[in-house]
Amino acid sequence: MDFSLNGDRLAVQEAIEKIAYDFTSVPTDFHDFALTNADLDERLTENGFWDIAVLPEMGPLSAALAVETLARLPCTVEAPLSMLLNHLFDGALPRPIALVEDGRPGRFVHGAKTLIIRNGLKVGIAHPQAGDTEALPASLYAYPMGRVIGELNIEWVSEEQAAAVTTWLRIALASEMAGLLKASVDAAVEHVSTRKQFGRPIGTFQALRHRLAECTVLAGGVRWLALQAAWSGDSGDAALAALHAQESGSRIVYDVHQMCGAMGMTLEMNLHLWTYRVKYLLSELGGRAGSATSVADTCFEGLDA
Amino acid sequence: MDFGWTEEQAAFRSRIRQFIADNLPENWDEIAHGPGSREQTDFAREFCGKLAQEGLLVPHWPVAWGGAGADPWSAFILAEEMWAAGEPRGGQYMNVNWIGPTLMMFGNKEQQERYVPPMARGESLWCQGFSEPDSGSDLASLRTKAVLRDGTYHIDGQKIWTSYAGRADTCFLLARTGEGRNGISIFLIPMDTPGITVRQIPSIIGEGDIHEVFFDDVQVPESARLGEEGQAWSIVAQSLALERVGIPRFALATRTLNQAVSLLKDQSRFHGGVKDLAAKALAACRAARLYSYQIIDQRARGLETGAEASVGRYATVMCERLVSEFVNETLPETISGAYPMMLAHHQRGIVAGIASGAAEIQLNLIATQYLELPREPR
Repeated sequence: MDFSLNGDRLAVQEAIEKIAYDFTSVPTDFHDFALTNADLDERLTENGFWDIAVLPEMGPLSAALAVETLARLPCTVEAPLSMLLNHLFDGALPRPIALVEDGRPGRFVHGAKTLIIRNGLKVGIAHPQAGDTEALPASLYAYPMGRVIGELNIEWVSEEQAAAVTTWLRIALASEMAGLLKASVDAAVEHVSTRKQFGRPIGTFQALRHRLAECTVLAGGVRWLALQAAWSGDSGDAALAALHAQESGSRIVYDVHQMCGAMGMTLEMNLHLWTYRVKYLLSELGGRAGSATSVADTCFEGLDA
Repeated sequence: MDFGWTEEQAAFRSRIRQFIADNLPENWDEIAHGPGSREQTDFAREFCGKLAQEGLLVPHWPVAWGGAGADPWSAFILAEEMWAAGEPRGGQYMNVNWIGPTLMMFGNKEQQERYVPPMARGESLWCQGFSEPDSGSDLASLRTKAVLRDGTYHIDGQKIWTSYAGRADTCFLLARTGEGRNGISIFLIPMDTPGITVRQIPSIIGEGDIHEVFFDDVQVPESARLGEEGQAWSIVAQSLALERVGIPRFALATRTLNQAVSLLKDQSRFHGGVKDLAAKALAACRAARLYSYQIIDQRARGLETGAEASVGRYATVMCERLVSEFVNETLPETISGAYPMMLAHHQRGIVAGIASGAAEIQLNLIATQYLELPREPR
């Protein structure tokens, strides 16, 4: 066990944090849901970040750290699947990559070069053409949402590869959730530290302090489970990380919105940029129920009384 | 970053498991339910003696004190395996985790030579005289007094919730020698000193676990004081940081959860919502485990742990609760004694968020020190 970052991984993490630093602000006139940033996408492309999971000295663990760091930003970029799924295909899938589950709308679907199609346990790959997808601008989810409207040419993968894809989708979900939850908690910490009621910051009231402390314990646990899963690539670790992310996400989103009160409801505070991404991820991969079933089927296998 | 074990660490874990398998009696599950009982205390003395002979009692202590100078990972792997087995070291785990190391750091030569070797041989049992009837979470308000007259301290007062006091040889006692938080001192007091009375308090957490201890003009020499007068707060802060992650409660919780799932599978009852609850409990156990590992990693690299110990502790409280509730809801026969080790887990799980600083105190520490929220007005 060694929880420190060193050598190449540290250098990569410092580089991604340096890039992320340039994208921490929100345009003052932005009062909407899906805040994307083409410049960030371009910077990540220029610096070769999409391939870090396939580089032996970096691997998926570095990719998971990068995904977590980027998820803390107010703007979103299609990084999770590009960084944490494409390595299964030796980096050959053109990006952006998006997931479509059972025909439902998904993030980054409109404009994606690769669609991961997941129908039940079946997994396929498709490369949509113009007119195969449409944007859903009215969505509250803080991603550019879209859906498939055309007939896709889907190449179904083997059961074994489908299981591997699902494992890495879970790892990508948990890694992104770790960043989103950290950012949500940080936003609430800032709010309760400055917002005064009854003559003092509301963060001095124990009712809120304890809830926020519990939220940070949960969010940190998600991060460690996601990183461990990215390190091991194990299906059980991935299911545990996704489950803890969705279970914690459900609780944290509710709590931080309660703490931020009416201010958190406005599109001016920007809390929704993280929480409405979390809400979308709560629905992916079968949600909490699906992840729990996966944990139960994978992690308790072979136990004897 | 590496989440794997080295070959040496894996071999060390295997060695401990083999030792446990070879040395736990067939009726261990029945004995394990009362960590402070006469039966378990006697067994722990024998077991710890054997552990010491094998070099497995205090491997992380310095060579000079009977250890092997092993790193914090060795101590934690040892603790994980012991706790998962129902802690056959009984109350002696405290010697290993924090009382011994505290005496090594702050004790004088005479105190170290008197108390540390018996701990390293597995021969002594201590109790922790901290809480009082009116001083639990607000420990700094304690009222037990130690007054120095002609080279002798006269101690009067009452301690409560004291684990192992009925069978302990020595008490690690906090008593007031002055005003406020900086007026508290530590005393190392043999429990057979005249004036000490112990009364066991029947409880839901097992036989022999909690007691009241009365001090009625207990007289000890000045040399019984650990450190300087008024130094207790800073010493205890360091000791409790060791204690907070010194008990890998998630290990027994995980074992209990696995055992419960096995039983439910045998009864064809592992489906639907039951699977859901088990999965969530396991995820919480794994998160707690990683938090603990992170803290051990920091210690192994010589870094201060600070409020992270409270974060790890609270994660453990969360997992204990989920496992305990899962067992209670799905296998209620456990609480009626059908599976003694699972019952032992239930009883120890109750303590997780209460002993060594209540869970709410940990949340206060996290809020102030980790999240850096503005402090509550006092």
